[in-house]
Amino acid sequence: MQEQLSLLDLVINASFVVQLVMLLLLMASVISWYMIVQRVIYFRNSRDDMLAFEEQFWSGIDLAELYREGNERASEGGVILGMESIFRSGFKEFSRLAQQSDMDAEAVVEGARRAMRVATLREEERLEQNLPFLASVGSTSPYIGLFGTVWGIMHSFRGLANATQATLATVAPGISEALIATAMGLFAAIPAVMAYNRFAARVDVFENRYDTFVDEFSSILYRQAYALRSRNRKS
Amino acid sequence: MNLSVLTDYLPDWLAPSVATFCLHLLVVFLLLSRWESSDSDRVIQARKITPEIINAKLVSIDEFRAKPAPKAPPKQPARTQPAAPKKQAAPSKPAPAPQSKPAAQKKPAETRRSEPAAAPAKEPEPQLDANALAELSRRQLSESMAAESAAEVAVTAEEMAASYAALIQRAVIGYWSRPPSARNGMEVLLSVQLIPSGDVISVSVVKSSGNAAFDRSAINAVERAGSFPELKNLPIREFEKSFRRFRLLFRPEDLRY
Repeated sequence: MQEQLSLLDLVINASFVVQLVMLLLLMASVISWYMIVQRVIYFRNSRDDMLAFEEQFWSGIDLAELYREGNERASEGGVILGMESIFRSGFKEFSRLAQQSDMDAEAVVEGARRAMRVATLREEERLEQNLPFLASVGSTSPYIGLFGTVWGIMHSFRGLANATQATLATVAPGISEALIATAMGLFAAIPAVMAYNRFAARVDVFENRYDTFVDEFSSILYRQAYALRSRNRKS
Repeated sequence: MNLSVLTDYLPDWLAPSVATFCLHLLVVFLLLSRWESSDSDRVIQARKITPEIINAKLVSIDEFRAKPAPKAPPKQPARTQPAAPKKQAAPSKPAPAPQSKPAAQKKPAETRRSEPAAAPAKEPEPQLDANALAELSRRQLSESMAAESAAEVAVTAEEMAASYAALIQRAVIGYWSRPPSARNGMEVLLSVQLIPSGDVISVSVVKSSGNAAFDRSAINAVERAGSFPELKNLPIREFEKSFRRFRLLFRPEDLRY
């Protein structure tokens, strides 16, 4: 006989619906935390990759050389993500179009740009993966928890109707058990909302960096395309 | 940096799932461990009647309140008595009069009015000395008094707790009617919860004696005692420390068999 209610007892003795709600919220919490940690690792890795690639790109290295290095890495089984994959798709398209001598410079660069835009969208999609789940956990789990609480309190008051002597002690355990659902809902929601906001802001930063890179790279490609075409015309 | 190197060699899902698992485990552990009650409750034995200690210190609450009182009495005579010598000295020396006033007020307070007339008669310079001296001795006195009263409080608080424990013990034993099946050596440990008004709000068995009737009699004794209104006099901190939740041990030793 414990004089104080133990939390575990409350959860075990809760009604079925409340238990179901608690289970749902626990799963939401577990999955959202899994995603949060995974996103944190992913964002840090892609930021490191991006900085390393930018440094390499602006170091004055031959772009064909850079492309070939990437090829080697891809053939070894490495996955190329982020800014480098944008660069590679743009460069591949550019070199393919430049070989057709009947195309003018504008068309070549436009083709490369289009390829890079597609790659950028794909990268953004990859960055935003799982964020909708975090958003919906953040916005719905308080309501789910509230539902569990309301249900539990409804039940404990219905039990009170049958009791001849209504004391606080007859309803308190029911209410206490019901409130656990709200607590769990908040526990799941708060980290999810915070993580969602933070990740959304970081995705924006990445998008800006990618867009800037696409513009810079296409200006380089313009220069090369015009040089190539004028040399072709001379010869 | 180190982490990213580590994660290169592990499958993608491992790090997030381990982190998630650890976090939830930690939260569950914190919740469960905080909800369990501490076992450091006071144990009051309801073994036999020991009237020696009962109520001996019950009035100590007045003693308790009188703590600041010793400081006040020495000041009162100082304010009333030296007024007469001051008035005599004032017309003769108008200039040092404001200085002599505090000295005249304080010195008699400490020296127990040994020479009330001597202080106003002195020159301003020695008066300053006397003033400082009086101030010093006054501070020393008040410091020692504070320390003394603090020690006194500690002692009386402990004693008060003990005396109230004895009070509860006596009250409960008064209501205790043992069943015929009670034997020497049986003991039942109850956990009792009180609120500051002294009312019992819950009684439960912590360690049963194995004899249901005996357990029942002990619980009945506490429930019939109902409340201990004397506990209202206890300072709330003392109450929280010792009597919010305590254990009562019932053990008959005075039976013949």
